[in-house]
Amino acid sequence: MKKIIVLMLAVLLVTSIFAKITFWTTEVESNRMQRIRALATIFKAQTGIDVEVVPVEENDLLKQIPIAKNAGTLPDVLESGIEPMILLGSQNFLDEDLSTKIINDFGDIYSGAAKLLSNGKDKFYAIPFHAWVQGIWYRKDMFVSQDLGDPITWYNIALAAKVLNNPQKGVYGIILPKKADAYAEQVFTEVALANGARPIDENGNITFNTPEMVEAFRFYKELGKYSKPGFTTVLDALKGYLNGETAMIFYSTYIMDDIAVEEVQKGRINKFNPQLVKNTGFANKMINTRPTSYGQVVALGVTKNANKDEVEKFIKFLMSDKNYVYWVHMAPGGMNPTRKSVAESDAFLDNPVLERYGKAKIAEIIAALDSVERFEFINGKVITDMSKLSANFVIGKAINYMFANDWTPQQTAMWAQKEAEKVLGK
Amino acid sequence: MAVLSLREKDARFGWKLVLPTVILISLLILYPVFYNIYLSFFEVSISDTPNKFVGLQNYKEILFDSSFWKSFGITILFTLTTVIGSILVGLGVALLMNREFPGRNIVRALILLPYVTPLIAIVFAWKYIFLPIDGPLMQFLANFGMNPGNDFVNNPNNAFWVVSIFNIWRNFPFVYLMLLSRLQSIPSDYYEAAEIDGASDWQKFLYITLPELYFVIASVALLRGIWNFYKFDEVYLMSKFANTLPIYIYEKAFSGIPEQGIAAAIATILFIIMISLIGLYVKKVLKW
Repeated sequence: MKKIIVLMLAVLLVTSIFAKITFWTTEVESNRMQRIRALATIFKAQTGIDVEVVPVEENDLLKQIPIAKNAGTLPDVLESGIEPMILLGSQNFLDEDLSTKIINDFGDIYSGAAKLLSNGKDKFYAIPFHAWVQGIWYRKDMFVSQDLGDPITWYNIALAAKVLNNPQKGVYGIILPKKADAYAEQVFTEVALANGARPIDENGNITFNTPEMVEAFRFYKELGKYSKPGFTTVLDALKGYLNGETAMIFYSTYIMDDIAVEEVQKGRINKFNPQLVKNTGFANKMINTRPTSYGQVVALGVTKNANKDEVEKFIKFLMSDKNYVYWVHMAPGGMNPTRKSVAESDAFLDNPVLERYGKAKIAEIIAALDSVERFEFINGKVITDMSKLSANFVIGKAINYMFANDWTPQQTAMWAQKEAEKVLGK
Repeated sequence: MAVLSLREKDARFGWKLVLPTVILISLLILYPVFYNIYLSFFEVSISDTPNKFVGLQNYKEILFDSSFWKSFGITILFTLTTVIGSILVGLGVALLMNREFPGRNIVRALILLPYVTPLIAIVFAWKYIFLPIDGPLMQFLANFGMNPGNDFVNNPNNAFWVVSIFNIWRNFPFVYLMLLSRLQSIPSDYYEAAEIDGASDWQKFLYITLPELYFVIASVALLRGIWNFYKFDEVYLMSKFANTLPIYIYEKAFSGIPEQGIAAAIATILFIIMISLIGLYVKKVLKW
């Protein structure tokens, strides 16, 4: 008996020495990396499984995958937004069986969030891990003083941008993305869907040249007139808003701690405005011809060659109890749990940022996850071609060129149509 | 056992000496080159399915792709602009630095800064000083009536010029260093003799300095030409939208749905073009 125990211990020791998984995360900021590494250390202490955490920039993820594939260094698990996940899933990189099993084992994952990762054949490409909602964050005090309505309709948004734009005083109506990147596409998605425009329709036709889409480009260009000059990016928007340089920005709920927490805000702009929480409003939907809201689910994907048992343990470790709360609290408001039991738990709401916004607001945000819309999904169908357009920044480039060359909305739409046809080989 | 002559022994010993180098070059240079050529005949799969042989299809696709030809033209223009630019600036600075003046050593050291500072640091510095509205340079230029909202670095229409000027600025110290070392070894007797003959400064430059510098300039032009034709890091960091060929290859190989077979074919075509151009250049210009 003694011998068997010794043998078992030896086997356990040997396997624990060699058990190792690689985890790619798109949370590259140093304070987030610290938390992730802390979780990896706790996981190792509990299970003996070593987790190598590798930070990868979200915009570079799809470029890194084939490099890693050729070098034989693909991760076991990776964390990223939906577009790369669907693209990787459709390219046969991901273990759909294991993801589906984990989702079913949990049993309480929001179906709206899981639906965004469906492979269209009753399985899931990846596991929804956490999620955010995008909308317009605006200075309520500026809006009230000018008697402007909430920036929910196109009309209200354009009017507010025009009225509040005052470059002489260093204040702009809005800071709009104009560079060819993922942020420009995110913002444009909300604008286009509010007008019923989509780049690819249900039958796979490219539809950049529709009147609805031209109208969406026209609205975007109109907002550009009252925006801070330059080919501004997401960081310009964030810093500009915190600095009081602009009345409105498009941003995800990730901004909540930047607005509310002194040390986070000081880390961005080196000063703190304690009134900003009170003076900030959030428009979580947009309406022109129809209402829409935009959000993003960040998922955990398991690669085909992964160490399955270890990965399953790791994902269940990350998405349970205090580990899960510890993860999502690295960006309170921005990262919302996709498991209902955790989202409703007191442990999740026990956070200085979430408390300041209140339980009701948080519940509203998380509930929106069941109604977010994206270009990749129409009536339950997954449009995988959309991920290719995103990976090639077709929308971002169209917006970038529209402002750089002063193209008309029609010219922009025609360019995007041709570029999309080229990228998709149609 | 046959007895080897001294000559044969020498030959064998010579082979033993060069063998490590031959092996290293084969592993690190020849193997990737041939593997790249091999890949260019395949549709390379990035998932588990095996690569599919497509023959010359990749080459055909590239030669009929207008974006490839556009990128090719941009790359040639980029190489010519930056090589000529950095040689002209380097030559000018070398001529100035060849004169005696107080503090010359400090100035000479400072001139090397763009070349020795880490690339990423100077890219960020450039982006910062050119920042619209808030950038120091733009604020300075605003005093002279220029619109501070201009975004020179990120405007896709400016990308080519920004990247070219940046490259000239970063690399002229290399040219300057090569030319200065040659300038200092030109015997002063030549100039004294020319002076006695009544030559002007311009004539001295044209008939003494330039011919003496000819081979250094030609070699530097060759080196910089090769480096800049394949320049990736500087271009990509300053602006991803400058559309030069290395960026085009990178995009093909690693973005969206990667087409690594096509990227390999482009690299092979460039390799052939470069080898022919270098051969011609060495023969005609360097006269080796």
